[in-house]
Amino acid sequence: MATKLASPAIHESIAEKERFGLLRSFWLRFASNRLAVMSMVGLILLISVAVFGPGLYPQNANKLDYAAINAQPNAAHWFGTDNLGRDTLARLILGLRVSLIVAAYVETLNILLGVSLGLLAGYFGGILDVLVTRLADMLFAFPGLLLAILVAAAFGAPVTERFGGIGRLLLVAGSLSLVSWPLMARFIRSQTLVLREQDYVTAARSLGASDFHIISRHILPNVIGLIIVSSTLDVAGVVVNESVLSLLGLGIQPPDPSIGKMITDAIPFLENNPLQVFLPSLVLILIVQGVSFFGDGLRDAFDPQTLP
Amino acid sequence: MSKLVLRRLVSLPFVIFSITFITFVVGYLAPGDPILTMMGARHDQQTYDRLRHLYGLDLPWYQQYANYMSGLVQGNLGLSFRYQGRPVADLIGAGVSTSFTLGLTALSLSLIVGIPVGVLAALRQNSLADRGSMAVMLAFYSIPSFVLIPIFQWINYQFFLRGWPSLPVAGWGKPEHWIMPVIVLSAASMGYIARLTRSSILDILRQDYIRTAFAKGLTQARIQWIHVFRNALLPIVTVVGPSIAFLVTGAFVVETLFAIPGIGFVSIQAIGQRDYPVIQGTTVILAIAVVIMNLITDMLYVVLDPRVSVKA
Repeated sequence: MATKLASPAIHESIAEKERFGLLRSFWLRFASNRLAVMSMVGLILLISVAVFGPGLYPQNANKLDYAAINAQPNAAHWFGTDNLGRDTLARLILGLRVSLIVAAYVETLNILLGVSLGLLAGYFGGILDVLVTRLADMLFAFPGLLLAILVAAAFGAPVTERFGGIGRLLLVAGSLSLVSWPLMARFIRSQTLVLREQDYVTAARSLGASDFHIISRHILPNVIGLIIVSSTLDVAGVVVNESVLSLLGLGIQPPDPSIGKMITDAIPFLENNPLQVFLPSLVLILIVQGVSFFGDGLRDAFDPQTLP
Repeated sequence: MSKLVLRRLVSLPFVIFSITFITFVVGYLAPGDPILTMMGARHDQQTYDRLRHLYGLDLPWYQQYANYMSGLVQGNLGLSFRYQGRPVADLIGAGVSTSFTLGLTALSLSLIVGIPVGVLAALRQNSLADRGSMAVMLAFYSIPSFVLIPIFQWINYQFFLRGWPSLPVAGWGKPEHWIMPVIVLSAASMGYIARLTRSSILDILRQDYIRTAFAKGLTQARIQWIHVFRNALLPIVTVVGPSIAFLVTGAFVVETLFAIPGIGFVSIQAIGQRDYPVIQGTTVILAIAVVIMNLITDMLYVVLDPRVSVKA
């Protein structure tokens, strides 16, 4: 009775859970975290800028305007121009697009590779498990971005020659995924190991359910939260890593813009034109922090106990 | 010797095999014929065959790998593609010591600053000093190095404009050239270590044995240094390993942006010249160095926490 009086909000949300189902209660829990909701709105805004920006803002990102070199913000160039007279806002929008596309590719690869291998390894065990964990361990042996740098360096030039910008983008995503899918596989595998021993899995098996049915209907739904949360949180790292690869000359090739390359290219002109450095930096930090807060909110809204 | 360290030692050959094998395979699969590129327009079949043999590229892949490994054991990292016939070890030799000095100085700085800041913040929990220092440390941790560099340079420039003491913007060789790169490189792990130290100390202050120590009438100082600090150190030791991995990626960025002739800088130049053996050499050296540092960290952990050798 005492607890009932002390927490009417919780009681109400349980009652609502029964009335409106899981999605609604999930949203209630997520919405109670203001920072996460604000971050979600911010991210939606950034994504819409990346999608619709180039159509709405008339400047060409690669056009050199020698009459307006290192210009301050004005009516024609809203965020000013860089040392070659290229419009900063137009470049920033395209750079944002690159960051988000690379992040989307990387997470798709992580989910395809990491989740399926993690599920298979955890569920079937045996030789398959040994192979997957050993492969993941091998990739884990490289510290930080070293493996991504190596792969992007070895295949970068030939891939760009043969497949152009899109090929390069896919290579960057592929090499970044090499350093992050093993982590996803490890999470999913350890979660699957727990789930396959659950009574409801044993019950399903005793009723004659196939392995495919058990994995897709009993195990996968229970790791969906883990997949969504860890791939969302991973996006923050991917965005920074894409910038690092690009500024090292291994990512997006000039003249196409990347946020990391914009920042480092503008550093020599820091004294005259600090905006060209700090605007892209600000956008980068907004994405990274926004994704982190949003991911934290999602994690708390899913079952908080089963997630890392 | 504890089982933890023993287990690490047993897995060491596997880790080194993984690093060398993957690096080798990536280079083997990379498209393009390096000898053709090297010869350019002056192509004749005889020289081509001779060079191919010199670089061992006429052998099957497993033999190439075996040769690479036996060379590695003797400290031979193969020959450069760009500078015909020059050993890779010669090209990166000087960079190795620069990078390791840079990395170790940065790691020391992050510990020397990070731990005391964390301790002071925890002991004055919720004070202005705590809030302020933790905000700075959070910024250090979460702002990527290539954004921190222009921020520091801009602050430095403002100092310069006002005639205050400021650092040189570029150049390499004098001690003052080390200051900014070391600060930037150490920033991420410094922030992480400071925040971890703070939370770890706050955690320990809530333990029963601390209350017991107070009840026994021990002095504040004795409790803080003997009971709190030693126990708080344990989780910090565990993150030193991952911090070193942080430093490796950071070194690439910092060396490139400050034009420091370290191993990362040499490696990035080699990428521009498509000199794969050099890239391969730097990757293997960095990865193995991290493995060894992790091993040392594990040993340190065993020394600090007697429970580990019993449990593990």
